[in-house]
Amino acid sequence: MKEIRFEHVKKSYGNTEVVKDLNFTIREGERLILLGPSGCGKSTTLRMIAGLEDITEGSLFMNGKKMNDVPSGKRNAAMVFQNYALYPHMTLKQNIIYGLKVQKLSKEEIQSRLDFVLDMLQLKGLEDRLPKDLSGGQRQRVALARATVKRSDFFLLDEPLSNLDAQLRVSARKELLKIHDMFKQTMVYVTHDQIEAMTFADRIALMYNGELQMLDTPTNVYHRPANVFTAKFIGSPPTNILEMNYHEKSISIGQQSFELNEIWLKHIKQRNTSDLLFGIRPEHVELSTASFSNGYRGKVKYTENLGSNYSVYIDLDGQEVVAASDHKHWYKGDTVYFRPMMDRIHFFHKGTGNSIGYPEELLDADYKNKEESRVLA
Amino acid sequence: MKINRTVEFTWHVIFMATVLVLVFPIIYAVGMSFKPLEDAYNNVLNIFSLHPTLENYITFFDTLPVLKVTMNTFIIASVATIFKVFTSFLAAYAFVYFQFKGKEIVYFLLISTIFIPFTVTMIPNYLIISDLGLLDSVWGVILPQLADAIGIFLITQSMRSIPLSLIEVARLDNLGHGKIMKDIVFPLVRPAVTSVGIWFFISSWNEFVWPVLILKTTENYTLPLALQMYISSEGGTNFTVAMAVSVITMIIPLILYLTFQKYIIGTFTSSGIK
Repeated sequence: MKEIRFEHVKKSYGNTEVVKDLNFTIREGERLILLGPSGCGKSTTLRMIAGLEDITEGSLFMNGKKMNDVPSGKRNAAMVFQNYALYPHMTLKQNIIYGLKVQKLSKEEIQSRLDFVLDMLQLKGLEDRLPKDLSGGQRQRVALARATVKRSDFFLLDEPLSNLDAQLRVSARKELLKIHDMFKQTMVYVTHDQIEAMTFADRIALMYNGELQMLDTPTNVYHRPANVFTAKFIGSPPTNILEMNYHEKSISIGQQSFELNEIWLKHIKQRNTSDLLFGIRPEHVELSTASFSNGYRGKVKYTENLGSNYSVYIDLDGQEVVAASDHKHWYKGDTVYFRPMMDRIHFFHKGTGNSIGYPEELLDADYKNKEESRVLA
Repeated sequence: MKINRTVEFTWHVIFMATVLVLVFPIIYAVGMSFKPLEDAYNNVLNIFSLHPTLENYITFFDTLPVLKVTMNTFIIASVATIFKVFTSFLAAYAFVYFQFKGKEIVYFLLISTIFIPFTVTMIPNYLIISDLGLLDSVWGVILPQLADAIGIFLITQSMRSIPLSLIEVARLDNLGHGKIMKDIVFPLVRPAVTSVGIWFFISSWNEFVWPVLILKTTENYTLPLALQMYISSEGGTNFTVAMAVSVITMIIPLILYLTFQKYIIGTFTSSGIK
């Protein structure tokens, strides 16, 4: 089993805890993205897997074996660094095969692996160039090639695309997918870019402040956030989190009330709590110039042009609500009527920020099938 | 354009004058070494003698075992250089890539030895060499010169500029420290190592005070000691022979410099490595 398992893993530098009690499993052959803002501990987590950082407390298992004290070179892992880490004094070819030579593979084997990877990553003809004579995109592909030829069980990537421009990023992502399809390594990929995470991941592990906030499929991370942090981190503009009051059949935000359907009422009742926050994504707010039978009224504060759509910032009795609109006819001071889509709303505990979960009826088959993929925080 | 040309011309004149000032003593020494002694006093302004002679070189070869003396100097300078470079490289590697308790303090103490004047350690060193029975031996000259804090400092600085991720990639490839040093770190700090090496060689080659304390018999002399013989009462003040010895003393470091100068220049261009 080429899986990676964290059991109560902690990492501290002196008195500063950078990773606090990690408990999760990265499955064999999956593409797991470690996502989070800078300083959240995601790179440290990856470096602990690589053996480049010591583990302060807890156990790390790879392939079923405890790895805490196993040196990097014996973990059967390849890594791609953000700065590519190509040896500046070696040619492209030497860079790629240096690690293989150390492994004492036969000449034929080295040559065949080299040919294969040069072909796959379109590096043919550049074999004798030094890194300084390559473009950024080419260097990035050399770094990928060097990690790929090792054919290791674990493929670790530390922000591998962050130095590329937007177009090269798209093609580099395709190449990564190609590599993964071919070798089915267990891939762990660190990024702070949620688009990269959404497009590339089988599952996303979202970290904040050294803690795992949520570990789930991109769809669930987006549609079923486990807590306020997840809801706000994923998506741009972020999910609206609003103060609300819970009544028997409805909720109120500011002075206006909104009636919930039976499904939600039952769900909230079962949770036996009324101290809640209300969440809704901007793209799940319907806007209109005419009033809804069950909706809110607010005033437009300003509009932002995002190209594909507009973000309309609305004042709702003192709280700000962002809504996505595909046309621009909203101007400052306009009265706007809006309605959250009933099956797209979220409730969070006010104290802990954790989601109260979702009614069974609203869950997609995709979500239900993955019993393990629940909320972790 | 015209102004530019004038400026350029002026600069070239200044540069050439500077070069002349720097090179003149060398040319003068070479010229002097081929003069008979009378010429040295009578035709001071003639750089090259009207009656060139090899007399001075012959005198030098007749009065001293020149090959032996040159070999002594060469052995001392090269053994000291090789050891200093080697120990500096290893120490620098440890300071940069190993984490151990008290690293900063050890490094600080080591570097602060740069500021201890030679005269302070001269007598203790002499006593140790004397106790070891190495007086009047080239090994006695070499022994205190096997490590040098300046070398450690300069190579450490150069190593620190290597991105840590290069070493981490190597660690993931299961490379031992020996291989990392040889295949990755050394090629990247080679310009620094070469410069430091040349510096060590030249300073050891020209060293006078320490060898004169240790070496007693002329057979064990180094070239600077031999040179001194002709400008002191010991050999009579014979400037022309002294100049011949100077010329011989200069040759080997000069060859060494010309061989390795591309690496020295490399020190300044290696900033291109990123």
